[in-house]
Amino acid sequence: MPELNGLDLGAMQALVQTIQADPNAAQPFNEWTARVRWHSGFKAQALVRNHTFLIDEPADLVGKDEAPNAAEYLLGAYGACLTTGFILNATKRGVRLRNLEVTLDGRIDNILTFLGLSDQGHPGYREIAATAYVDAETDDETLGEIWRETVASSPVGNSLTRSVTIREKLVRV
Amino acid sequence: MSEAADLPLFPVTMVGSWPRSPALLRALKRRQAGEIPQAEFETAADAAVLEVLRVQEEAGVDVVTDGEQRRDNFYSFLAEKLEGLRLMTLAGLLEYAEDKAFFDRTLRSLDAPSFSIKSPTVVDRLRLRSPLAADGATFLRRHTDKPIKVALPGPYLLARATWVAGVSNSAYPTREALAADLVTILRDEVARLVAAGVAFVQLDEPVLTDVVFRPPVAVRSFMCAPLAAPETDPEGELSWAVELVNAVVQDAGVRTGLHLCRGNWTRNEAVLLSGSYAPLLGALEAMAVDQWVLEFATPRAGDLEVFRGHAGREIGLGVVNPRTAEVETAATIVARVREALRHFDPSRVWLNPDCGFGTFAERPVADAEVAAAKLRAMVAAAAALRSEGSQVTRSGAR
Repeated sequence: MPELNGLDLGAMQALVQTIQADPNAAQPFNEWTARVRWHSGFKAQALVRNHTFLIDEPADLVGKDEAPNAAEYLLGAYGACLTTGFILNATKRGVRLRNLEVTLDGRIDNILTFLGLSDQGHPGYREIAATAYVDAETDDETLGEIWRETVASSPVGNSLTRSVTIREKLVRV
Repeated sequence: MSEAADLPLFPVTMVGSWPRSPALLRALKRRQAGEIPQAEFETAADAAVLEVLRVQEEAGVDVVTDGEQRRDNFYSFLAEKLEGLRLMTLAGLLEYAEDKAFFDRTLRSLDAPSFSIKSPTVVDRLRLRSPLAADGATFLRRHTDKPIKVALPGPYLLARATWVAGVSNSAYPTREALAADLVTILRDEVARLVAAGVAFVQLDEPVLTDVVFRPPVAVRSFMCAPLAAPETDPEGELSWAVELVNAVVQDAGVRTGLHLCRGNWTRNEAVLLSGSYAPLLGALEAMAVDQWVLEFATPRAGDLEVFRGHAGREIGLGVVNPRTAEVETAATIVARVREALRHFDPSRVWLNPDCGFGTFAERPVADAEVAAAKLRAMVAAAAALRSEGSQVTRSGAR
């Protein structure tokens, strides 16, 4: 079975052909869900499909530091999204990767607003720096193109840079 | 060592390494990738060693090295020489890191990914596959009449850097258990070097500065001990280092030296360690080596005044900075030596760079032309000092 970068090329091609023949087949991939349940203190557990993961705050923010916090998961999610996209785009071009590592540095605009101690700015990330370190069997120009495609087409990146409509509600039980 | 007895005053030597040529670097990468056999790499390295030897002889260096041309860096090369020691990437070791956040911060300070940095790690009981440095010394011996110096990674550095909790425990329950084998391996190698006609064996123990200066995590050099947690007992560490070094050099039958430095992996002096020798003096004096090979060209090494009343050994005085493009003048070097002569007898003062010119094959801190000019400057300074003859006195030495 032909393989590149750990991806089954036959399965990838079949997926592309299926979606090309019937774009509605991609509909399920437009929708994602998560359920997050509070445990105790700042600790919570997320359930996504058949997976769970913990969320907590560092001890110096009064958490138990048993897991990353939500804002850190966002950085991790963006890094993972860039990794996934890079592998997809490299594999589409037939480029073999030996190593890939992405670092993320996020700068919160003003954390005091989260703590209710300021009304200046906002408590979200003001800036995120993403750096990809790549070792691949191709030229610099191709790598640059793969990276630009990856950043431009990242679902998490687009969620961060475009405004997402959030429909929220509260239910008392 | 009759040749060593013939040395002039103020012998000039190197600390060890020399920048690799592009051809040698290519051969090194191809050998590491398994694309060329070891013999083909050795042929390229032989040519490189002869070139480094030529540069030293032409400059007038008194005690020569092979420029560590066969090594990927000053201690990782042991992974080729010892069964049970494997070169692992930091990516592969991350799960075992005692302090993962420190690990990440240090990588960020280097702007490097975890897969690009490799560390020799003990994965099984150590067994000698081939001599650590004696074969290279034998090659050099065949091509020069000059006395030869060889540097070996010290036992404390190796015990601290290669033992990783979670990876090494099954072979050695503790790093102390590992150290016992390391001492035996190094002692045996010193004996082989003596048999090969080596005049001077230097042990490199750069992590001792890390122990005493306890730098903030963000600037801590991890090149030598990437996964070790910060020390909680610096005095205990120093005592242990003394014990290990003495076990290696005891009755060595050759001039021995101990080299310390504060990091030599970047030209950015701001991120290298800083501090005088004062907190290390006790350990240095307790080590049964003939020579202390120390940095003094960089102001980060503090003042020679620390050695007032503590000058009972030879000093390999660092008089040129391997990381700067400017070549020190002979006059500057002579002035530095005069400072040393306030404390050290002239017969005990050697001239050398602060550290290697190419400690890490892929990250040399100097280019060969500048390095050669620095060798010539040291030789000119030594000649000037010798010509002063009787004017050189031990004005401040005890």
